[in-house]
Parts: sequence; C-alpha cells; structure tokens
Amino acid sequence: MRCIGFSTGALARDDFRRALQMLTGKNVSAVELSALRQDELVPLVEQLDDLDLSTFKYVSFHAPSAMEQSFEPLALELLLQVAARKWPIIVHPNAMYNPSAWRRLGNCLCIENMDKRKPIGQTAKDLAEIFETVPDASLCFDIGHARQVDPTMSEASAILHRFRDRIQQLHVSEVNTQSKHDPLSFESILAFHKVSHLVPGDVPIILESKVEESEINGEIQSALNALSVDNALALTGD
Amino acid sequence: MPGTESTGATGADLPDSDILRTCREASLRKRKELDQLLSRQIPGYTSEDTSLVVFGSLARGEWTSGSDLDWTYLIDGGANPDHFRIAQNIRHAFERANVEQPGTTETFGSMAFSHDIIHQIGGQNDTNKNTTQRILLLLESCAIGKRSDAHERVIRGVINRYLDEDNHPLSPDSKSYRVPRFLLNDIVRFWRTMAVDFASKQRDRDSKKWGLRNAKLRMSRKLIFASGLLVCFSANLDPDLQEKISTDENDIRLKLINHIRDQLRLTPLEVLKQSVERYGIPQAIASDLFGAYQEFLKVLNDEKSRKALENLKSVDSRTDPTFRKIREISTVFEGALDHIFFKNKLIEPLTRKYGVF
Repeated sequence: MRCIGFSTGALARDDFRRALQMLTGKNVSAVELSALRQDELVPLVEQLDDLDLSTFKYVSFHAPSAMEQSFEPLALELLLQVAARKWPIIVHPNAMYNPSAWRRLGNCLCIENMDKRKPIGQTAKDLAEIFETVPDASLCFDIGHARQVDPTMSEASAILHRFRDRIQQLHVSEVNTQSKHDPLSFESILAFHKVSHLVPGDVPIILESKVEESEINGEIQSALNALSVDNALALTGD
Repeated sequence: MPGTESTGATGADLPDSDILRTCREASLRKRKELDQLLSRQIPGYTSEDTSLVVFGSLARGEWTSGSDLDWTYLIDGGANPDHFRIAQNIRHAFERANVEQPGTTETFGSMAFSHDIIHQIGGQNDTNKNTTQRILLLLESCAIGKRSDAHERVIRGVINRYLDEDNHPLSPDSKSYRVPRFLLNDIVRFWRTMAVDFASKQRDRDSKKWGLRNAKLRMSRKLIFASGLLVCFSANLDPDLQEKISTDENDIRLKLINHIRDQLRLTPLEVLKQSVERYGIPQAIASDLFGAYQEFLKVLNDEKSRKALENLKSVDSRTDPTFRKIREISTVFEGALDHIFFKNKLIEPLTRKYGVF
C-alpha cells in the first residue's frame, strides 16, 4: 500500500489533535501537521512532543502559508526545531521574505508549487528560479494547484519532467476557483490520470481535501485511483 | 444552496393523496438511486463547476412507473474536453442500469453550457434547445448528488439576466415591484413553442406517442406554464417582498432575484398551492385543480393506461376510452386554471396586462 494520509489542517483546521483522532483506525500511514496560519505555529511546535505519531511511517510539517515579515525570524527558529526531527517542512515560496535565510532548514525545506492566487511559484519556470535561491530544497508537488493553474495538465507535466527527482511528497485534492480544497471530482481524477505516469510511485501522498471523517477512506481510494498508472491506461483505452 | 441537493417536492405542504405521496416518494427514491448508481461508477461525477441536473417528472416530484429520465450535465466553468467524456460515462451508466433516457441528439441526455443559457436569450442564437433548457432549468429542474453549485449559480445567473433587461423593477410610485416582463415573456414564448412543437413532432415522428404527448401538453406542460406565470406575478403580489423595497437600486434588484429564486425552489404544484392560499382561490376550484392533476398522475402511473396513450393515434382520439378520460380530466383542470387567471381579482388584471397583449 502506498504511503498516504491527510493534512491535519484539511480535516480540522487548527485543531490538530482532533484531526489526529479522526485518522485513528483509518487506512493511513502518513500525516502532515499543519500550522497554516501564523498564530498556529507556536502552539503546534510546543506540543509536538506530546503527540502520538507512532502509527505514521511518514510525518511532514506545513509552515504558515503567509506571515508578517517581523515574524519570519521567530518562525525560522521554531521550524529549525521541527527540522531537527528530520521532517520535511512544506513552505509556500511567497511566505519567504528572505529566501537565503531559509537555507538553514537544509534539505528539510520543501517548496510547494502554488495556486492562481499567489504571486509566484505556479510554473516550472517559477520553481526553477526559486530552487536557485534554495538549492537543497525539495518539492511538494501539489497536483491540485497545478490543475487549477492549467487544466490541460501540460504545466503539471512540465513541472514533473523538470523536478521529478526533487519531489518529496504530493499534495492531492481538487482546488476550486476560489482556491479552496474540495474532495476529488471525477473531472480532477481524469486530469490527474494524464500525468500519473510521471509521478514517482514511492513518494508519500498527503490529501488536502476537506472531507468529513466518514469520507476519509473513500477519498483515499479516489486519490489512489487518480494516481494509479493502471487506471490511467484503462481509461485511455475505454 | 451550494453544496446541497436542490429542493424538490418534499411533500410537506402539498394536498395529500395516495397518488401524490406515491409519486413524491418515488421521485425522492429515484434521485437517491441515481446518485448512488453514479457515485459507485463515477465517483465525484459532479464538481464545483458541473452539476447533474434532472428535469420533468423527476424534478417536479411526480415520478410514475413509466417515467423516462431527462438529464443534462450542466457546465459552468472553464472549457474542458473531459466534460464530454464524463457526460458519456453518465449516459453509459444509465444505459447499463436500463434507465430510459433521451437520444443523444435530443434536448437532454448530454452536456449543456451556462454561457449559452445565460447569454443567448432571444436573438438568432437562442435555439429551441437552448430555450427549452433555460426555461425548464427555472421551472422544473433539480440537481442530483452532493454538488449543486453550478446548478444554483446558473439559475441565479439566468434570473439576473432577465432582470437586468427590465429597466424599472419598481412601479412608478416605487411602492411595489413590477411583474418581470422579460422573464414572463420568455415563459409565455416557451409555452407557445411547446404547443407548436407538438404539431411538429407529430409530423416528424409519424404520430408516435401522440396520445401521451397530448396528455402532457394538456396537463403537466400546462402546469409548468401556469406556475411560471404565477412566479412572475408573485413579484407584484407578494406583500412580504413589497415590504422589503429599499431605495438602493442594487438592493432592489437583488431582493427580487432572491424572491424569484425562492419561488422557483418550489415545485409547480407547490407554486399552485401557495397561490391558492395567498390569493383567496375558492376551495372548490382548488379541489378541481388538484383533483384533476391527481387523476392525470393515476393514469400515467397505470401501465396499461400509459401504454394505451403511447400507442394512440390521433385519428382514434375521439373514441379511445383512456384519451376520453384525459380529455375530461384536462377540461376540469383548464376550468380551474381559467378561474384562477381570469376570475380572481388579484390575478386577473395581471393576466390581462401581461399575459395576453
């Protein structure tokens, strides 16, 4: 079974304990601890030692998606504590005011490709420029963002061809026109099939779909189907 | 509301009878069944930008044993070649489940696009198919499944478009809303189109299903026409709406959009029932109206009668017992509608002013 799980922020926003509880007994082996808003970072980092994460083979950490410039030094200090655990730290490129300072996170820094709302980071060309400033960083490939930016998936294909070896993890969900994360629709599954053969089969999948607890297993199955090369071939031939 | 299934007949407020209850429950069951069928075979078959919309008896809460399924895959988003594929998958899923549906070249059973529906109202490019989809979307449609965002947006977009073209939503003294004339005219035009198309289809299809189509024209088609008129008239007659009139131009229009949207959430029978209650229609007329309609549903729900109507040729219509029954039922139904539209002191002036010339 592929390493797959959920972002705590998708399941219960800032209530990471509730999100972890929702994942208990589900078919998940990965989790992303999410501090998407600036004020969520301190409490989450402070409570990391108290969380039981023993059932997860893969744990990553999502840094705030935006922050005040004055908060950046403190954020980096806190994220260094996370990096000490060797967890990948997912960062939105627009959240870095001083990208060279983020090099301190070394190869734990994991840059995510962006949705339409953000000023940078949507295309392969954008990402190339960002990786020049943080060369040790890996890529969190958000396939939903890539589809929102270009529904034909040709930009997704360009990103995958160029940065396949940098991919640390995937973000999977449907990203709607307001850039909110929705459950996967058949339309997005068909789109993901178009590049599923380019996605490395061994990278962990983190779902960002906003679903109820009862829908977690179904959404996992939809994501696995969306990224299955076998299904892509079957659909091509039907 | 986005993200929830469209309302349809819930049954809570309608005149109760075995046949109405049977049809309402069958409709709700069928909608659920279709959602389960598609969710199994095409998980996530709808999205923020796409809705599966059903029309006709299923949307009106009048599903009978022989009803067929009119559906469209409504798209309100970026162009995507996969939409055609999804529409095909939906069609195939229904075929495999032996659901009776229209042919691919007909008005329903494939994709429909919000841009045409909203922008092409009148003019050379407003085809018969586009008009039909638009008016039925307003008067008898319902989204299947969890996502109804696109359905809701397009309905609001269409209402907005109609009201945009009416320069003065209020009466000259600003004390009441006027009847939205552009919308009303399109509903009237659609009714006449259906009547004209009846003759055209008779010729094209060599009178196939003549009896059934004639019966529908007399009853269910006429019902949606009447309910459409009453929705338009309610803009002028609804006291609650008049109380909300403000001085802000945008606010005036937005309140009217909301009012019409709320009215269109009701099924046609519910619109009729609401009008009967609000405008003081005599009980005897209401009994004739709903009684006749129930008799019509009984005929359709009876396999033998429905088949008789399907197979009936127009030349035999004067002697065929089933059709004679339909004629009697529809005469009572029309008599009740005549009373509502031409004898009621609130509605009659509006019928005269907006419905005829």
